[in-house]
Amino acid sequence: MSDSHPVTGLDDVVHQRVRLGILTIAHEGRRVEFGFLRTELDLSAGNLSKHLGVLEAAGLILTEKGYEGRRGRTWITLTAAGSTALAEEIARLKLLITRVETTGHSGA
Amino acid sequence: MTTDAVPAGPDPRRLLDDARALARRVRLAQRVTWLPLLVLGLVTLGAIPVYRLFPPILSDCAADGTCTVFYRGAQIYWWTALLLGYLVIAAGYLRVARSRGLGARVLPYVLTGIALVLLSAAATVLALGLGEPSAALHVVLRLLDPPTVIGLALLALAWLERRATLLVFALGYLAVVLTPINLGWGAGWGDEWGMAPQLAINGGLLLLGSGFFALRRFR
Repeated sequence: MSDSHPVTGLDDVVHQRVRLGILTIAHEGRRVEFGFLRTELDLSAGNLSKHLGVLEAAGLILTEKGYEGRRGRTWITLTAAGSTALAEEIARLKLLITRVETTGHSGA
Repeated sequence: MTTDAVPAGPDPRRLLDDARALARRVRLAQRVTWLPLLVLGLVTLGAIPVYRLFPPILSDCAADGTCTVFYRGAQIYWWTALLLGYLVIAAGYLRVARSRGLGARVLPYVLTGIALVLLSAAATVLALGLGEPSAALHVVLRLLDPPTVIGLALLALAWLERRATLLVFALGYLAVVLTPINLGWGAGWGDEWGMAPQLAINGGLLLLGSGFFALRRFR
């Protein structure tokens, strides 16, 4: 592994509270409905749509629109690239925390 | 003087904590633990009349009166009911998860359950052709008995749902299933009801577990 600071490897698309939340929920839930994401992340529909647009443009999620009865529903699934990006972000966050703790201890 | 510029972003510890909390909430919303325990409890209790209605087939009887006993009707019941049961469980999980706006993570459990049932069936059929089983084969057959494979598959569900209480329940259930219990009741009911006490205990335990997890379904 390179010796560069973990911050330099962070992906701006994923390193954001809401988008990391979307990826986490989609990964854990296998697939997730728009309404579940809105409730769990406490977002307006417009705000959530913007974040989904960023993730979809980056190829990290797929959205699928359909109907259940007369009600429209949007389902979100993680792509393989999305799974990888999530795993890498989590790994970098852990590394970052370790670095901060190590620096804190050595500086104390 | 040089400085390493670190962009001011979200606190990594908070991001990680948030992600973990979200993952936990999703797992909670996906849990329908009471359903498999209910279905499998009913399947187990349903075996009681089957043992009563379909007497065992005796073969290879020795001079001392000992025979090879094969509960054909009951075995066919177990295999069929368990396979159907796992399909009902899969459909139930998918339906509940979908209604909550999520996908289900039940497939590995259902596939484990079905694989164990098929293994149980294969072992029983093979053992029939071998006559008197050796001690080692007897242990294998005991581990692949239908009530035991229910418990083994529950271990897979506990891992899948990251649920320690279900793990404890599954281990307790396996201990009960693998320990021959004779409380004395049923002694005068005749040979046809010989299996009833153990099956009632196994099935009752699964139903009690179902009630317990139904009460704690969001915890």
